[in-house]
Amino acid sequence: MNLQPGAQHVASRLMGESLIDKAVIAGTEAPVRAILPHLNVIQIGGLSIMDRGQAAVMPLLDEIVANQAAHTQVIGVGPGVRARHILSVGLDLGLPTGALATLAAKSSAQNAYMVSCLLASHGFVYLEAPFIVQLLPAMLAAARGAVFNGIPPYDLWEHPPVLGKIPPHGSDCGSYLVGEVFGARSVILVKDVDGLHTADPKTHPDAELIADVGVAELMGMRLPTLPIEPAVLDLLTRARLVKSVRIVNGLVPGNLTRALAGEPVGTRIHA
Amino acid sequence: MPVTSHDLLGGVGKLLVNGSLSDAALQRATEATPNFAILPWVNVVKIGGQSIMDRGRSAVGPVVDEIVANLPRHKMILGTGAGTRARHVYSLAIDLGLPVGVLTVLGTAVAWQNAQMLQYLLAKHGIAFLEPEGFASLPHYLMERGAVICQGMPPYKLWEANPGIGRIPPQRTDTGCFLIAEVFSARKMIYVKDEDGLFTADPKKDPAASHIARISVQELLARDLDDLVVERAVLELMLSARNIKEIQFVNGLKPGQLSAALDGEPVGTIIFNAAAADGRRA
Repeated sequence: MNLQPGAQHVASRLMGESLIDKAVIAGTEAPVRAILPHLNVIQIGGLSIMDRGQAAVMPLLDEIVANQAAHTQVIGVGPGVRARHILSVGLDLGLPTGALATLAAKSSAQNAYMVSCLLASHGFVYLEAPFIVQLLPAMLAAARGAVFNGIPPYDLWEHPPVLGKIPPHGSDCGSYLVGEVFGARSVILVKDVDGLHTADPKTHPDAELIADVGVAELMGMRLPTLPIEPAVLDLLTRARLVKSVRIVNGLVPGNLTRALAGEPVGTRIHA
Repeated sequence: MPVTSHDLLGGVGKLLVNGSLSDAALQRATEATPNFAILPWVNVVKIGGQSIMDRGRSAVGPVVDEIVANLPRHKMILGTGAGTRARHVYSLAIDLGLPVGVLTVLGTAVAWQNAQMLQYLLAKHGIAFLEPEGFASLPHYLMERGAVICQGMPPYKLWEANPGIGRIPPQRTDTGCFLIAEVFSARKMIYVKDEDGLFTADPKKDPAASHIARISVQELLARDLDDLVVERAVLELMLSARNIKEIQFVNGLKPGQLSAALDGEPVGTIIFNAAAADGRRA
């Protein structure tokens, strides 16, 4: 500890310390408590589910409602093709990644709002990021479910990626981070593929499903495309509470229910 | 029934609509798009929490005077650090077992308090405080009054990612201010702290430490120092930043250093991206 002369300090274990110092940082390692351990975070894909309209969305929402009594569910929603379009226009105009992230987040907000309307009669509420911070526990005590924008509220503060300009933290990341911070029971990513395959099943029909894989092993496989944002894999390596995510095919009735029940459906990716 | 024809889109647009966003070929294609500078004349100035604000009037007063003196010549986004109250609340929250996202919410409140205090001191010069949600009004305040104040933390709240080691939020006010500078293509990113910049060791602990006037971020990362003048996240982000190619550290306890840095003089320490200099990031 070194105290700056003239500075007014509050006594604490970190008083006067550099929060950049490796030894100080290592000294803060300690267990984390799960704030809402009964929570299940369900991420509904934008391109994969929402953009397909009622044929894909309504059976999935019916399944969410059917699970309402047994499971506390908060629903993150992804952006889909409108985000792809505004990324295209924004890139053409030369806008930076932070501006693109702010724009794309509005597309997933629209999708989340639509989902909240469709679930409104079952008591689900739509919560913007500030209300997730302040009200989620109270809302879950009063309502029986909540819907939120899957894209994290990084906005102008989104990281420039190493390659290109596409915002690296999308709705998979945002939903995972909500699960991690509350110490959720599960994080389930609902897509239009059965899970992770040895190749893209849309272009390689002979691709095989991988039912369970560790992050390190998956990174070592160097697959050209993944059905999950690569940034989630990085987050999983630093997980404290939620050490796995499950990818399920939301076009197959019953998959979400099985995943909520803890059955090995789709692909589990773990730390 | 999904619509599959997108005739209005160009090459990158078609790739975006049809492909996976994590596809490397798509990411490379977006690399070649133009870079529009949103506020190329703005300077982002971060006022340190523990290093300046916690010292009270003796340190903050002269910094405020220097900001006021520069208002006619330089447009500034003034971000604030957190400091000793953040250290207290982090200690307490870690002891209570709360996660990193909650610590970020708590730390943001401390940077916010410091921003409010700074704003009271600059209010009579017409300087406003803006929340992240109000940033769309920022160009107006900058054109009319020359500066605005914001709290330095990025608005990640509960969505802050865990650090690899320990429990302290890795992206704090140095990072938040850097990302403001990056997204707006700011003219300068200046950190006002209580040292002359970077030293070979902590000058508060080792009197033999020598000053480093200029160093590349690559060399600094390669040295893998135990302690640094800036959050490690800033150094990592510098490697992928498109617009900000150098950041400067000045001593706010020495009158004139901030003005010199705003005028483009090499006071304090400059950390630069050596890869940007050879055109990797145009």
